[in-house]
Amino acid sequence: MKATPGNGFAPWLPDDGPAAATGLAWFDSRRAKARAQVRDQGIPTTKHEAWRYTSLTRLLEQGFTPTAEATTPLQPRDLEPLLVPGLDAYRVVLVNGRFIPGLSDLQHLPAGVRVGGLAQILKSDPDALKDRLNGVVGESQPLFAALNTAGLDDGVVVLLERGAQLERPIELIHLSVGMDEPRVAQPRHIVVLEAGAQASLIERYVSLGEALYCTNSVLELSLGRDAVLKHQRIQTESANAFHIAGLYLSLGAGSRYQCVTVGLGAAWARTDLNVRFAGEHAECDLQGLYLAGDRQLMDFHLDVDHRLPQCSSRENFKGILYGKGRAVFDGRVYVAKDAQRTDAAMSNRNLLLSEGAEVDTKPQLEINADDVKCSHGTTVGQIEPEQLFYLRSRGLSAPLARRMLCLGFAGEILDCLTPDALRDQVAEQVGSRLELAPID
Amino acid sequence: MSASTAVEAIVESEYEHGFITEIESDTFLPGLDEGVVRAISARKGEPEFLLEYRLRAFRHWQTLATPRWAHVHYPEIDYQAISYFSAPKSQDGPKSLDEIDPALRETYNKLGIPIEEQMALSGIAVDAVFDSVSVATTFRTKLAEAGVIFCAISEAVHDYPDLIKQHLGSVVPHTDNFYAALNAAVFSDGTFVYVPKGVRCPMELSTYFRINARNTGQFERTLIVAEAGSHVSYLEGCTAPMRDENQLHAAVVELIAMDDAEIKYSTVQNWYPGDAQGRGGIYNFVTKRGDCRGARSKISWTQVETGSAITWKYPSCLLRGDDSVGEFYSVAVTKGRQQADTGTKMIHLGRNTRSTIVSKGISAGEGQQTYRGLVRIAAKAQGARNHTQCDSLLIGDRCAANTFPYIEVKNPSAQMEHEATTSKISDDQLFYCRSRGLTTEDSVSMIVNGFCKQVFNQLPMEFAVEAQKLLSISLEGAVG
Repeated sequence: MKATPGNGFAPWLPDDGPAAATGLAWFDSRRAKARAQVRDQGIPTTKHEAWRYTSLTRLLEQGFTPTAEATTPLQPRDLEPLLVPGLDAYRVVLVNGRFIPGLSDLQHLPAGVRVGGLAQILKSDPDALKDRLNGVVGESQPLFAALNTAGLDDGVVVLLERGAQLERPIELIHLSVGMDEPRVAQPRHIVVLEAGAQASLIERYVSLGEALYCTNSVLELSLGRDAVLKHQRIQTESANAFHIAGLYLSLGAGSRYQCVTVGLGAAWARTDLNVRFAGEHAECDLQGLYLAGDRQLMDFHLDVDHRLPQCSSRENFKGILYGKGRAVFDGRVYVAKDAQRTDAAMSNRNLLLSEGAEVDTKPQLEINADDVKCSHGTTVGQIEPEQLFYLRSRGLSAPLARRMLCLGFAGEILDCLTPDALRDQVAEQVGSRLELAPID
Repeated sequence: MSASTAVEAIVESEYEHGFITEIESDTFLPGLDEGVVRAISARKGEPEFLLEYRLRAFRHWQTLATPRWAHVHYPEIDYQAISYFSAPKSQDGPKSLDEIDPALRETYNKLGIPIEEQMALSGIAVDAVFDSVSVATTFRTKLAEAGVIFCAISEAVHDYPDLIKQHLGSVVPHTDNFYAALNAAVFSDGTFVYVPKGVRCPMELSTYFRINARNTGQFERTLIVAEAGSHVSYLEGCTAPMRDENQLHAAVVELIAMDDAEIKYSTVQNWYPGDAQGRGGIYNFVTKRGDCRGARSKISWTQVETGSAITWKYPSCLLRGDDSVGEFYSVAVTKGRQQADTGTKMIHLGRNTRSTIVSKGISAGEGQQTYRGLVRIAAKAQGARNHTQCDSLLIGDRCAANTFPYIEVKNPSAQMEHEATTSKISDDQLFYCRSRGLTTEDSVSMIVNGFCKQVFNQLPMEFAVEAQKLLSISLEGAVG
């Protein structure tokens, strides 16, 4: 799609005058290039395949502008209500997209593990990021990745050296608070696990109050040979929030990656998961759960690129739609010509609980090799009347029975969450949302 | 000559008849403008309303761009280099069977096609004393008794102008897509079927028996209307490789089913797929759509697609009537350099509408195959049901199979399931058959036929037998 007059994303871009230059030649030229890409792509419409079911009108109407503040008056105790009770983790806190060391807890990181703010590293040791920034995203960036590159303010860099292992998970909290006007934050995270490293990363997107804001985050992740990462993403943002996340993954030979992503909050949420296999025998497991009620849109796009032989991928996404909630699932599994012995299975199941709810799903397979095992399955349905009858005949009220059955449906994904403290909190959040849902 | 070498000979031999572009006195010069559209209409002596329709379509077509979204690749088509009208009887065909490629005759014999049919298929002028013609005449008498109209659309325009006026373009409007617009502007001829209220058509209708339907040209138009409570089964195409002079085919098929009516539409398509480099094969760009207008109506599409260099077709059902049913059963084979982008659309609008999609794709050699389907359940389609199954079988490591389903559900009482698998013939299955004394080729043929059985079961009996043979022949030599 070509640009329509008056590019709606222009306000997201920082000025490209000399004042904006950081003095880092490679960084400035990448930003200039990204700006050009944003302009060239214009505003995608629903005629654009990747945006077929998701209109950007609502996002553009908000008139988001970048935020300038790099500090926050918040104190560590202000965070307490937002924490997961009993979760023992290294904590990295971003407020409106900026890394706040004062709220973070990174003591006792073992040797071989480095965690720091992206903006700060760009100042102190910029060349460390030269090959990393956009290293996984690549040259041709989709619109929101290009916007992020052009306008990135901060983010987190996590580096595990060869063989480093973390006992406790790293918890990355994206906290957003309301500001004077609708603001967009564009954090960029870079996570690198060198050969044999193992870690667990918990990303949580939370907000204070019913703030209206937009987050456009990009996470670039590369796993070296035999590295193992468990990545959990819990999005419980305010009902007015706009959430855009792009995950770009490069999986080395024999590496194992599991992602459990749960989307509950935000008015408008779009998540793109891009998986590239960079070595043979790598495994990728993507589990997802989403709930959408009135005025909510949950949009997940998966792009799994089996360009090398002998890799396996699992994609299992489940959704519960109620009120006037909408969900979009677009999953693509691509198997290149010589990627023999690929094993890929994609599944998307949806419960549609009320009039006005809608789901648009598009699971795609593109197979160019013959010795493969690939499948996908999709269902859209309701709670089985027999199951409901069974529970009601045992004395449960209809709403309670429905909620139990929905929780059972979600349980398959919730059970992938670890540790139990996290699982319990998310299950409770799912339960309380279902309690308020008009699903009769 | 063993079976496989015979087929290899077919596969490797150049198709001798090619596409003859000799200009006869009765063929229009290449090019397309309003004058050509008027001339086609004048030549056929069409009434004013049809000329108007053609002109509207042509003007709209001029505003359209060639669609690019399908997963197929071919050189740009020059629509001004095509001749849009050719007299029905061309004299450039071979004079006797001796002039026919022996390999092609071998195929005919394997399919068990009688000698007269062989001549007709290879474009030899068939004398009217042959059995098929007398059969056709008998059929026409029987149909007339039942009140069923079955004739060329150009005849129907004169004999039943009201029916044509009422129904033509009512399911696939001329604004529908690029090829539908082109077809509406320049359609050569086609078939019209009208089954009156409560009539069960006494036999399977087939263009095969409509002798004057031969060489209907590249822009065929089919219109089938089934009035309330009627039933009709229509067979299109044939299993034998059909000789054809036109490379671009843009047909339109419209089906209309009123209350309680049922239309079963079966297609076997085996047009010239091009040479080993994929040169010269037929481009088959077809728009097929059925409209279940009445309550409890049913439209069922069954297709076996083995020919054409490029296939681009999505037989669809508009399920408007309450309790109406749509079905799509498809087997598509791509081998050599063939490309197919095919599937269906099931649009659920009425209450308790049901649809079933079963698509089996077989890709061999460097074949490219895509299933593209849409299931849309509108907000008012209470109690709608859909079940979709698309399986792909890959033979050889240079072929491709893609699955692009689109599923849009806006009603909470809808039940929708979609499943797709892609795999190759497993070594275990092959070993099992071989250990029981079957050759590799027979084993493959047996496994593939099993893979397609669900679809073949939907075909009318005689078609099903032919289709099975056709499939075996298509795939012979494809397995190393």
